[in-house]
Amino acid sequence: MKYVCIALLLFSFELSAQDDLLDLLEEEPQIEYAFATFKGTRIINLQSNELPAEGVMQFMIMHRFGALNDDFVYNFFGLEQAQTRFSLDYSFKDWLNVGVGRSSFSKTYDGFAKVRLLRQSKGAKKVPFGIVYYTTINYSTLRWNDDLPHNESERLSYTHEVILARKFSKNFSLQLVPSFVHFNLVEDRETPNDIFVLGIGGRYKVSNRVAITAEYGLQLNDNFYYNSEGNKTSYNNALSIGVDIETGGHVFQLHATNSRGLADPQWMARTPGSWGTGDVFLGFNISRVFTLKKPKLPEE
Amino acid sequence: MKKIVLSALMSVSFLGLIAQKQITREAYLKFYSSTPVEDIEGATNKASSVLDLATGEFVCQVLMKSFHFEKALMQEHFNENYVESEKYPKAVFKGKILDYEKAIDLSVDQTINKKIKGTLLIHGVEKEIEVDCSTTVKKGKITQESVFYVSPADFNIEIPGAVVDKISDKIEVTFKAGYSPL
Repeated sequence: MKYVCIALLLFSFELSAQDDLLDLLEEEPQIEYAFATFKGTRIINLQSNELPAEGVMQFMIMHRFGALNDDFVYNFFGLEQAQTRFSLDYSFKDWLNVGVGRSSFSKTYDGFAKVRLLRQSKGAKKVPFGIVYYTTINYSTLRWNDDLPHNESERLSYTHEVILARKFSKNFSLQLVPSFVHFNLVEDRETPNDIFVLGIGGRYKVSNRVAITAEYGLQLNDNFYYNSEGNKTSYNNALSIGVDIETGGHVFQLHATNSRGLADPQWMARTPGSWGTGDVFLGFNISRVFTLKKPKLPEE
Repeated sequence: MKKIVLSALMSVSFLGLIAQKQITREAYLKFYSSTPVEDIEGATNKASSVLDLATGEFVCQVLMKSFHFEKALMQEHFNENYVESEKYPKAVFKGKILDYEKAIDLSVDQTINKKIKGTLLIHGVEKEIEVDCSTTVKKGKITQESVFYVSPADFNIEIPGAVVDKISDKIEVTFKAGYSPL
């Protein structure tokens, strides 16, 4: 009995002397959502899975210079010609972003919506990748250069994209984007109105603020037109490589691409140029965010 | 007789344990960086802390991702570029109230101002700090408050040249916790 008492005493002593109070704070695992899979809402031309946070407005300028193979020195490395797209978007919720844009190519206005359906997470809830749905409607305002009767609806084109993105590690992210492009009006009777595209995009961070990016738009069905000589010509797949540089409130993206168009149907399904022939455009995207509605900070 | 002694001993040892450790999982932590260019504030009320009234030992830990900011981008940069919370998810303080001679009596309303000395772990770097702290007992409930300063450089948190004017090298930290017996 004596020993039991001593053992108990020792036991209680040991318990109260247990110095690691931190053990008492062990917590149940929480849901850890992946964040900052990509720096910007676009990787280059391809939409990323990122949406600005709730209450944030984003202004974005996309700019592509002239082709490198177009009278290189005479046109000062293409810097004297430009295609641009401006866009303004706003996130009503963390999962809902809508916006409008204007591209100089084909004088196109567009409206778009981006909806986050699923977030990648680990910990208490394991989800291997995130899903975002993105859709645009594009309205070309280019004047008709023929005397044929036209419907306004002929000016419209659409895209639907399902963005499947995974942040594999702190530095490496990859996404697959099955997409569908529809043009109400096409060049030839035989040119398809519907094009299926598989977008592939990735980034690798080389430092906390600099990342290398690349993307490819693989057209899954034959997409062609007849050129001025009457030859059947296929549109090319757009391949772009770039660098993301982050500086405080904005992201600066520098890149080279064979697609001149900037609105989604244009770069996905209307890219005539190829890297092989030097039809390459240097360009940049700049985005700036404005917090219109501040989130509430936790209180005591 | 022996049985009585035994059970008395048991209950004393357990009672002692139970009453003397105070815990919270809803402690408030805020940090505030002020420069002429920009003020930055991050706050959470999800820090957890234990105070051992028997010894004056004190611990506190917080998940870096639980801090909220007034701009979403600040929060992203804080986690991604500065504290690297995927690599170093928690900040931990482990210390002891100095000159802690006798256990604080919870039956007397009082405020005790003392210093706490211990190690603060942020961004994988440990640093010894000594800060003022006030402990208040009111109606048997105990609260702790402290305001102190830390420097990002002490914890190897690099601030690039482009934003060096926006982030102070002296960051004010406010801690406030109301405890319940464990």
